[in-house]
Amino acid sequence: MHFGFQTVTEEERREKIYQVFENVAKKYDVMNDSMTLGIHRVWKDILVHKMNPCPGTLLLDVAGGTGDIAFRFINYVRSVRQRQLQRKLKHHQNLSWQEIFESYQKDEFNSLGDSQVVVCDINREMLKVGKQKAEHLGYSEGLSWVLGNAEELPFDDDKFDVYTIAFGIRNVTRIDLALQEAYRVLKPGGRFLCLEFSHVSNPLLSRLYDLYSFQVIPVLGEVIAGDWRSYQYLVESIRQFPPQEELKVMIEDAGFFKVDYENLNFGIVAIHSGFKL
Amino acid sequence: QARRARGRRGGRQQQPGSASGSGSGSGLGSGSDSGSGSGSGSARPQPPEPSLLRFLVCPLSKRPLRYEEATNELINEELGIAYPIIDGIPNMVPEAARMTRQKAPAEGSERP
Repeated sequence: MHFGFQTVTEEERREKIYQVFENVAKKYDVMNDSMTLGIHRVWKDILVHKMNPCPGTLLLDVAGGTGDIAFRFINYVRSVRQRQLQRKLKHHQNLSWQEIFESYQKDEFNSLGDSQVVVCDINREMLKVGKQKAEHLGYSEGLSWVLGNAEELPFDDDKFDVYTIAFGIRNVTRIDLALQEAYRVLKPGGRFLCLEFSHVSNPLLSRLYDLYSFQVIPVLGEVIAGDWRSYQYLVESIRQFPPQEELKVMIEDAGFFKVDYENLNFGIVAIHSGFKL
Repeated sequence: QARRARGRRGGRQQQPGSASGSGSGSGLGSGSDSGSGSGSGSARPQPPEPSLLRFLVCPLSKRPLRYEEATNELINEELGIAYPIIDGIPNMVPEAARMTRQKAPAEGSERP
């Protein structure tokens, strides 16, 4: 088994990865901004736009630790819901002001339209950070947090409309098991979405990317988080992770149909998508 | 809207543990906020979101769980194990579970 460029047993790998995220949890968001110059926010926005959830969607965000995808999901369905309500009101031409006011009141309690997101992560520290962020930013409705293992999810079959895993699948020890679990918990018709660092095929870009990854990122890790080793692991693990086509085959093996991927920034990041039919 | 949400949470805090009853996935009120600033070692155990209990099953056997308010745990009666809820977050990994019976549960609980 590999931990970055080292060779370790499965158990050692799980242990080491747990420690990496335990160490970086509090600085996770800051590091993401520094390493990617804020571009990770755009990648995550694109993921949620691609998902295009409608109110009433049930999302399971795995390895969702600090809540980035969950918050974006909530914002998205809230604004879709707003527009829905406004359109509804526009059609009721003959309502009195009292009636219009009352309908706003009634729907206020359903501003998410029954949408829900469950954030599941194996690392307690990351979940703590996520929960604190949620409280700080005022997210409470339709959001819950669970400590669980992507390879062995504590959820029943056929439950969720969408399953996302953003920058998490790379850290799973048995990716095949995680994909099988993803398939299991999705409803028929449900969608699997994976956002992850991938492979850059353009040779010049690849060299620049390598340079940046190995020379700059661990240094940033030391300066900002006081932990270059964790960030060394990060950049190494990206290189060890299967490239786009290989991941596509793994997803198909788990039973998903219409498996597809979209490269962002020339393959630095890719979004894989599949459906359970 | 965010501000209003905070206000409502504050109001409901008087009824810990009461299911929200309305059945919609709103998850308002019970459990997971620590308005007093997240203390270490919660003086009052935070129950999980009622909406979450609909989805959770035992990660090993995928069978339903029972919420035990006294110990703030999710119990799998069949296998005789209990998963703790810490700071309002259910700890659904087998490593964290404790056995509720003296004797070991049946072979079926062994991880493949």
